[in-house]
Amino acid sequence: MAGIDIDAPGTTELFIGNEAIARGALEAGIGFAAAYPGTPSTEIMESLASVAKKMNFYAEWSVNEKVAFETAAGASFAGIRAITAMKQNGVNVISDFLANLVVSGIGAGLVLVSCDDPSAISSSNEQDTRNIAKWLDIPLLEPGTFQEAKDMTKWAFDLAEELDTICMIRSVTRIAHARGNVTLGELPRKEHKAHFDEIASFTPTLTKFAPVLSAWKHQQLHAKLDKAQEIFEPSPFNWYRGPDKAELLIITCGSCWLYSLEAVNALKLESKVGILKLGTIWPLPQKLIEKHLSKSQKILVVEEIDPFLEGSIKELVADLPPASPHPTFYGKRSGHINAFGELNPDMVIEAIARIMDITYESRPAEYSKKAEEVPLTYMPPRLMTFCSGCPHRATFWAIKNALRLDGRDGFVTGDIGCYSMALGPAGFCQVRTMYCMGAGAGIASGLGKLGQFGFKQPVLAVCGDSTFFHATIPALINGIYNQSNFTLIILDNNATAMTGFQPHPGTGMTAMEEPTKVVSMDTLCASLGVPVEVCDPFDLKNTTETLLKAMSKDGIKVVIMRRECELVRARREKKPLYKVHVDPDKCLGEACGCDRLCTRVFGCLGLEWDKEAGKAKIDETVCAGCGVCADICPQGAIIKEAV
Amino acid sequence: MDMKVKGSKELLTEVIDAGLCTLCGACAGGCPYLVSYKGRAVLLDDCTLSEGQCYRYCPRTYTDMDAVSQQVFGMPYSGDELGAVKEIFLARSVDKEIHERGQDGGTVTALLSVALAEGIIEGVIETKMDDDKIPQGFVARSREELLECSGVSYEPSPVLEALNHLPRESTEKLGIVGLPCHVAAVAKMKTYPPQNRVNIDNVKLVVGLLCGWSLANGFHQFLQQNFDLPRVTKFDIPHHPGHTFDVYTKSDKESVELDEIRQYINNACSYCLDMTAEFADISIGSGRAKFKGWNTVIVRTDAGAELIKLAKAKHVLETQPTPVESVTNLKRAALNKKKRALNNIIAKTGDKNDLLYVGLREDILDNLLA
Ligand SMILES: Cc1cc2nc3c(=O)[nH]c(=O)nc-3n(C[C@H](O)[C@H](O)[C@H](O)COP(=O)(O)OP(=O)(O)OC[C@H]3O[C@@H](n4cnc5c(N)ncnc54)[C@H](O)[C@@H]3O)c2cc1C
Ligand code: SF4
Ligand code: SF4
Ligand code: SF4
Ligand code: SF4
Repeated sequence: MAGIDIDAPGTTELFIGNEAIARGALEAGIGFAAAYPGTPSTEIMESLASVAKKMNFYAEWSVNEKVAFETAAGASFAGIRAITAMKQNGVNVISDFLANLVVSGIGAGLVLVSCDDPSAISSSNEQDTRNIAKWLDIPLLEPGTFQEAKDMTKWAFDLAEELDTICMIRSVTRIAHARGNVTLGELPRKEHKAHFDEIASFTPTLTKFAPVLSAWKHQQLHAKLDKAQEIFEPSPFNWYRGPDKAELLIITCGSCWLYSLEAVNALKLESKVGILKLGTIWPLPQKLIEKHLSKSQKILVVEEIDPFLEGSIKELVADLPPASPHPTFYGKRSGHINAFGELNPDMVIEAIARIMDITYESRPAEYSKKAEEVPLTYMPPRLMTFCSGCPHRATFWAIKNALRLDGRDGFVTGDIGCYSMALGPAGFCQVRTMYCMGAGAGIASGLGKLGQFGFKQPVLAVCGDSTFFHATIPALINGIYNQSNFTLIILDNNATAMTGFQPHPGTGMTAMEEPTKVVSMDTLCASLGVPVEVCDPFDLKNTTETLLKAMSKDGIKVVIMRRECELVRARREKKPLYKVHVDPDKCLGEACGCDRLCTRVFGCLGLEWDKEAGKAKIDETVCAGCGVCADICPQGAIIKEAV
Repeated sequence: MDMKVKGSKELLTEVIDAGLCTLCGACAGGCPYLVSYKGRAVLLDDCTLSEGQCYRYCPRTYTDMDAVSQQVFGMPYSGDELGAVKEIFLARSVDKEIHERGQDGGTVTALLSVALAEGIIEGVIETKMDDDKIPQGFVARSREELLECSGVSYEPSPVLEALNHLPRESTEKLGIVGLPCHVAAVAKMKTYPPQNRVNIDNVKLVVGLLCGWSLANGFHQFLQQNFDLPRVTKFDIPHHPGHTFDVYTKSDKESVELDEIRQYINNACSYCLDMTAEFADISIGSGRAKFKGWNTVIVRTDAGAELIKLAKAKHVLETQPTPVESVTNLKRAALNKKKRALNNIIAKTGDKNDLLYVGLREDILDNLLA
């Protein structure tokens, strides 16, 4: 498969949506890209970083989304086109800077890509970031096809410069990660020249790059939006397909365009149902919408997550002269379309069928039932869990045992990363709070101050290495400054594993694969004057003892669990740490003295329960050979041998 | 009184959380779920078995005294104040070092050293205090290691966890030193031999210590706060006169009023009927004030009698008769403990017919409750 930098204008390539967006940025001639990884946005930055050197621009993984956005803004202020991309949660992280940036305007084109995750497949929450565009007056585009993903991104830079404001692109998982045809455009080979023009001169002037005179600038911003609306009215990213007079008009955007099209085709209603697909989402192309509203008395709005279009279009209708027809709206408020989760063509079919009072059976009920059963019979049910050999499983085993031994009802405040899975059996349900990046330590800092109200429970705040740099440091410092009581456990697996092993400040490697200074979390924490212990989580005994010792002390303690992510290790070393097998003569299985500890409680996928034999065994195709199970087996029945 | 064998969950609710656990360690260390830690029996995970050895050997789950007595002594439980007695006398170690480092007369250590030397046993499961004076089960296999275990901790010691830790294929001949609760658990193991654990027939010698109560409920924190524990060489509660708890260092002795200590008496001990470790081969206590530096010794089995004979023949032990009056006092104290415990149990359950773990015949019960 060709890289996103293939220089073949006019040819067509298969790109996932994120690559298409990255390609759009290349065609726009960006000089700067910065991001923090987050599914489903990660591949935008990954594909950009992979060609940055060759294409003579700069790309970085930043410490968090806010810093990524600020670095991109810095580039824009110095005349370099810049892009930042993030998942929906990142938009929350950047919102303060964003709210102020819209007041000032920008330098060179600056584009923010937000990838939403309907159904929260890879996210803690489900959130519709289109709302922030309306909230903060930001021009917003949303691609409905892979081609549009590229074209819109490219155009967004021109638009940003024309309007002198940041422009935003919203994508969703099914655009970001699905693959489609993209016809390529030209790659500009321009020399980037950076200079910050707004320097202080001898005559006192105000810089452009600060939110001052903000009320006045707010008014100006509204004027920019009015201009954006004018530009959007004839935009080729909005189109209508269907009859001149329709029984039903669907208004849709993004990935729902394809669902709607498929639904109408499946119902063979092409002559009765029209679809207005919008690509310019905010501000809405009011005249275009008003024109199409007259096509039908019934309007169905199909969009994912919030009723953003639905509400905004109803606002437009409210302003229409009283004499004009006021159609009936169907959508999330009427209950025809879910206001949560991903949509699919079936859901749209159902909504249309309900509104138009037709019966439609996509397939015989019998067949549907069978189809649903098939995967259950051939696919073993699997809980979300850590990989075999994952250091986190060992860490949470030690945490669990330490908390039980300690016996004071201690608990874990968790954070965002692979280790969030410790909410469930993967981590023995040890994580008892989990919200957003950095919140584990923040919540712990509050809990740790409740001593005056009789609170005696030990609190263990858990964060990953990347999360530590991202947002945990302020909470840690807060805890130290305010003399709180908790133990911060940093799960240092030397990678941003959850999103695909991106480097971070602790790894000594940059996004462009250049070696860099390692920011040592050990030294950093020690410099804050708190005790820092480093454990190898595979050494269960020492890890448990270290945790118990930390919990027995007041104040803030840091314990670093250092063990490389197994996938990273395996990729590099290409062989297991140990060769592991079960000695069936020693294995007690279900008998008193074990009760299947390894397969029932520890739960590494490399272990199997041989029901017939009544013994555990190693699944050699899955076992990563970490050898940890050998240390938990009460009978020494699991044998690890050096490879 | 529920005679059924149950699992770890019931052990937790009926014994540990119910305040009956003596921390004997019989449930701990034999599987991955139950361990002892700093004075608590801890359940680390959910075990799904509805019947388990943890529950079975716990001295505070139903104990059929007749069955156990039948196994150990070949006869039903007598109900006598001091249990099955062959002989009672006073004894002390002839070996000066053992006597000096021993708690009272050093009889326990002296007897064990003979048993080791003569190959009657190869290891002894004892109690050893770590630097911070936390008692732990320990297998002593030499005179040196026996001496390291001399002297007592008044805190509960999970002695039997060390037994459960032994590899199941071990053939090492063993002695065990324990309080009445430990000894009761070992007797239950002998009566219902464990599966997948070390062979209980390996245990050739059980030495019981006389016991009124142990000290728990934050007693260790009390010690930590008031003494430099690593420097402490001995704890003692000398009987009349005094009523003190004494803490010795190499150069010093500090006394605390016993009344100040009483608040730490292990609640679980108030439900214990056994003062003299009735299922041991030999039970050993202090000689009391009149015979400071001596031990009261109760010999119960042939194995016990043999060992005494040997120790005397080897001039390791010297003995003298116990005055009749002392035996009478001992019997009274033992009977009182039984009566008090039964009443405490009835007060706890609120039901004369629910005696928790106590499996005594009607006639014996009637006598005790009269
Ligand atoms: C909690 C407790 C309460 C006691 N109450 C009484 C009493 O009321 N009346 C009475 O006459 N005697 C009592 N004793 C026994 C007495 O203190 C001596 O242990 C006994 O006289 C033996 O003395 P010795 O010189 O032969 O001991 P040593 O030769 O010094 O041997 C002592 C032995 O005790 C073992 N041991 C130490 N601490 C513990 C423990 N916590 N649990 C189990 N084993 C332990 C050691 O492993 C060692 O084998 C009690 C002992 C304990 C531990
Ligand atoms: S933990 Fe050990 S004894 Fe238990 S089932 Fe697994 S291999 Fe067998
Ligand atoms: S050695 Fe054991 S714990 Fe490690 S990967 Fe293999 S089965 Fe899993
Ligand atoms: S394995 Fe046996 S001893 Fe352990 S908790 Fe379960 S039933 Fe009790
Ligand atoms: S008394 Fe002994 S066996 Fe019973 S729960 Fe306590 S430690 Fe376990």
